[in-house]
Amino acid sequence: MKKTLFSVAGFAAVLAVSVSATAVLAAECPIKIGGLAPLSAPGAVGGGEAMRDAMLFAERDINAAGGVLGCDVKVVIADTEGLPEKASAVMEKLITQDGVVAVGGGYHSSVGVAAKDVSNARKIPTVFAETWNDTITGDKQKFIFRIAPLSSWASATLWKAALRVPGIKKVAIVTENTDYGIPAAAETKKGLASGGVEAEIFGVDIGMQDFSGIVERVKAGKPDYIIVLNTGEAGYNFAQQAADAGIGPQDIPFQAGQVALESKAWWENVPDGNMAFVQRIGTPVATWNAKAKKLNEDYKAKTGKDAIESYALEAYDSISILAQAINEAKSTDGEKIVTALENISHDGTLGRIYFPYGSKKDPSVDGKGDEWWHQWPDPAMTMIQYQKENQNSTDAPIIWPDAYKSGDAIYVK
Amino acid sequence: MEFPVIFWGVFAWMISWGVVGSVVTRRVYLNKDLDTSNAGMVGSMLGASTGPVGLILLWIKTPPITSRMMLFPSLAAVGVFMVAFAIADPNNLCVVNGSFVASQISNGLIIGIIYGFMALGLTLIFSILGVVSFAHGEFYMIGGMITYFVTTVWFPGINPMIGIGIACIATFAIGATFERLFLTPMYSGKIGRPVEYGILITFGLAFTLQYFVQALVGANPVKAKRFFDFPRIRLPDAADPWLIKTSRGNLELFDTISISNPRFTAAIMCILVFIALMYFLRRTWTGKALRAVSQDREAAAIAGINPDRMNMLAFALGSMIAALAGAMLVQAFSWLPQVGAIPAMRSFVIVVLGGLGSIPGAFLGGVIVGLVEAAGTGCIPDAQQAASYIPAYGMFVLILTLLLRPTGLLGRRFSSATHGKF
Repeated sequence: MKKTLFSVAGFAAVLAVSVSATAVLAAECPIKIGGLAPLSAPGAVGGGEAMRDAMLFAERDINAAGGVLGCDVKVVIADTEGLPEKASAVMEKLITQDGVVAVGGGYHSSVGVAAKDVSNARKIPTVFAETWNDTITGDKQKFIFRIAPLSSWASATLWKAALRVPGIKKVAIVTENTDYGIPAAAETKKGLASGGVEAEIFGVDIGMQDFSGIVERVKAGKPDYIIVLNTGEAGYNFAQQAADAGIGPQDIPFQAGQVALESKAWWENVPDGNMAFVQRIGTPVATWNAKAKKLNEDYKAKTGKDAIESYALEAYDSISILAQAINEAKSTDGEKIVTALENISHDGTLGRIYFPYGSKKDPSVDGKGDEWWHQWPDPAMTMIQYQKENQNSTDAPIIWPDAYKSGDAIYVK
Repeated sequence: MEFPVIFWGVFAWMISWGVVGSVVTRRVYLNKDLDTSNAGMVGSMLGASTGPVGLILLWIKTPPITSRMMLFPSLAAVGVFMVAFAIADPNNLCVVNGSFVASQISNGLIIGIIYGFMALGLTLIFSILGVVSFAHGEFYMIGGMITYFVTTVWFPGINPMIGIGIACIATFAIGATFERLFLTPMYSGKIGRPVEYGILITFGLAFTLQYFVQALVGANPVKAKRFFDFPRIRLPDAADPWLIKTSRGNLELFDTISISNPRFTAAIMCILVFIALMYFLRRTWTGKALRAVSQDREAAAIAGINPDRMNMLAFALGSMIAALAGAMLVQAFSWLPQVGAIPAMRSFVIVVLGGLGSIPGAFLGGVIVGLVEAAGTGCIPDAQQAASYIPAYGMFVLILTLLLRPTGLLGRRFSSATHGKF
């Protein structure tokens, strides 16, 4: 009898251990999360490397905090090259060969637009970090989330800041002909028109080097303000070539592309880039939370840079929010992670991240467009201006909006 | 465009008479048992520019076709096209703004000279080895990278000519070593398909060099400091410098044409090296030997020239020319390991346009591509599309040229193309 009791108890104990272990073993250790970043040209390599470093910091911090479902997390970095065809291929590879259960990161909109269909079809939750095109969430795909701002919303920052330039009548918008550039330019032009300002759009290829012809054409149009919507080295090439031709940041008010946030590369590639305006995502450095400050210190120590870039913060959060969602879902099943993400409240480096619209509540209920589906509504958008040579982008004053303003704009001309 | 019907009407008229001229002229010359090699081109250009009037005269007289007969109708066709464009779009910048046109022409010329120079190396390699080097863009990239590291990172303040010189020596050595190690099997008959082998091995070299450099220096864009500052010049007088005005980084001519310092120095250097290269090829024994090998390897060998050595010299020299173009442009453009891809593609277009194996043809092709790109970027009415089509402009000219003159502008009708085999 005693022997039987021991046998039953032993069997029950083994069963209990097995059941609890199964929950963990269901997710093979380590749990893999994909991380998209452009690490080769024509992508914005500087931005991609910053995102890669931040995502690897997220992996380190998650594992230091105990991992996910009892397993370590491994972030599998994939180079998108900023190209949509490459993006589809690497997303397919991440899912089918590397066995990732979710994907974060992503810099170029064209990459997001191409990759989202693959991950959605394969039911792999994806949190895009820095892809702005409205259609990425506008297609209302179940497995697609975004913590970057919407393109239409970011464009509003551009044209609202432009309308504050004294005496502005005509704007030249130089844009890459991609899923990011084309809609952003069109939205900006529309916004400027609402303020009675004329705008002309100049489309260029993403990897273009020689802008001499287009610079002359922009110059001949005598614009009062230039807006550049180029990622990658094209953003540097246009700015310096415009400066050489007398229409650079020190000649007329000039809003540089996002690559200008990479301060070291900006000053090396655009030595005449002082006075440029640059759009920046995220709250001002002074208001950063402890998590962001800690990451900033680690990042500076590793990279030797003066401060972490906003898209690196986004990349970090895109991985850490997925880790939290997997923990809360208690599973690596895509459907369950999506449910967890729709209900999440994540304290990230960018602030509290949540997704108010999704299957629980359609954006139309609040009169919002489809692009607000699975979209974080609170990323702060600011406009900074380099006002000293070799200045760091995090030290440059925020000139707009007034809520974050730390200095007055200087309008050259 | 204000009157698109006029433009497209004239364009259709030119195309129609061009096609008629090309087909019928060739047939007329054939029927009279005359040389037909350039009849199609002359007929098409004459048809496009003068319509039936010029064509009928040509068909009646059927004069021997000279280079002038090809040049003048071609220029006339371009003229008709421009006049039609000006009438159809009278408010276009290219029509109403003379200073804009002058600036675009100067930009086109300068970048065209640089394009042509880079293509020289490619055509030199092809003319001797019969191989198209797919690693040409990577040598361009390495030339810029070495110059950047020497002049900006390792020895800031050093004379940039030293950096350029080091880049040239290094790429010459890489080119020579690669040729000795990997291309020699082509000459000994060990390789069954030397053309395919040449393509694949240079492709392999391209990837190896690109990713090796990326592993060494990373993929962030870098840029060398301006090599030289312009001296301050104000002519004819300081108060009204309408002729020449310079600042450290810019040169302005006639108050209209603005040329940036890096571009100007690169173009001047390219012209000087081109002259030196032509001197080397035409006046020195080694240069003559290279040309001899490109024309007839067996005859050259009988005359005491070692074709194998010439192969090595041609590949090394061609690679060095690409590197020199990169070394000059690293002060003008942001530089990274993938920077050579677009210039290499453009070089392929230029050498085919100019005529495979023709050095003056490569230079002429470069200038034509530069001018056509500048015209397209500046004159296409829709600004959003104008610069997006830049790679297509050169391709359009290439297709048109190959249709009418398959050997390219200055190409030889019978190329040796022995793929280095002796």
